[in-house]
Amino acid sequence: MKPTLAQLVERRTVVGAVILRSLVRIRQGSSVRLYLTCIRNTLEAAMCLQNFPCQEVERHNKPEVEMKTSPELLLNPVVICRNEAEKCLIETSINSLRISLKVKQADELENILTKKFLRFLSMRAEAFEVLRRKPVQGYDISFLITNYHCEEMQKHKLIDFIVQFMEDIDKEISELKLSVNTRGRLVATEFLKQFI
Amino acid sequence: MEKGKDRAKMVDHIVEDEAIITKIEHKSHKIDSLIKQYRPVEALKTALDGSPPKTRDERCKSANWHVVHRALMAIKAVDLMFSNLDPEYYDILMKYLYRGLSTGDRQTCDQCLKIHEKLTQKAGLGCIIRALSDTVNTV
Repeated sequence: MKPTLAQLVERRTVVGAVILRSLVRIRQGSSVRLYLTCIRNTLEAAMCLQNFPCQEVERHNKPEVEMKTSPELLLNPVVICRNEAEKCLIETSINSLRISLKVKQADELENILTKKFLRFLSMRAEAFEVLRRKPVQGYDISFLITNYHCEEMQKHKLIDFIVQFMEDIDKEISELKLSVNTRGRLVATEFLKQFI
Repeated sequence: MEKGKDRAKMVDHIVEDEAIITKIEHKSHKIDSLIKQYRPVEALKTALDGSPPKTRDERCKSANWHVVHRALMAIKAVDLMFSNLDPEYYDILMKYLYRGLSTGDRQTCDQCLKIHEKLTQKAGLGCIIRALSDTVNTV
């Protein structure tokens, strides 16, 4: 069946949007690369975790970065910002490391999509093992890596996972936004056809 | 008796802080002149000299940070910078880079990310670990 004019216009605008987005991403390519390299180097340095039973309570073993009871067990927290909208907080302690990310949200729609998508992931935190159920205040998503994770899994693979996650999140959110806009346009076209 | 000793210590601290701030102002003038002469690497060396000042006062730290920030933003060729910079400045530069990255201002962060990559290649991960673990001399 030959495509109608409406469908052709629809396809061209979708393709146009995809090309525009990829052009923007190519231009931002080097700054993203620098940001991710910086985070990767900092994580490689900060992920020096060892088992450390709780000092206050017998037979307890808690992630010290969450409890924050003894200052001698904590390292300086570090914030790495790419710009005003995107940043990453890395807090380390002797037996655990917490990484919190704030994802770029350009408009209201991306705001809602990011919140819903990351909440979906956080609720399934047990499947991810290193994900934290609630993000730290002021950030969108948090990871908690303990010495047990470093013992079971390889350190460089954990870091690869986190950096890959950061790259994929942007792609996912733009795809979601594209599909929401496409669907909205299709629905509106169909609905308004009855008034022609 | 105790109160007298504490007040004396506080006065000493205030006097020290004032001295440090005047020193930083002198540095700032020198750095401005060096930047005008297109010698940004020397400007950075002067800015990093004598820091962190042995103080817990936030004003001194921010004053020193402003000075270092100006020197950092003046640097255009990041690769050439490391051929002129001595290794003893690497650790303190790393601490200031992390302070720059926490500001969130776009140009500062771009510049700091560029320098951070090159500095890690030059100085290795040990430099980052020293910057993270030094809780006593923070910038």
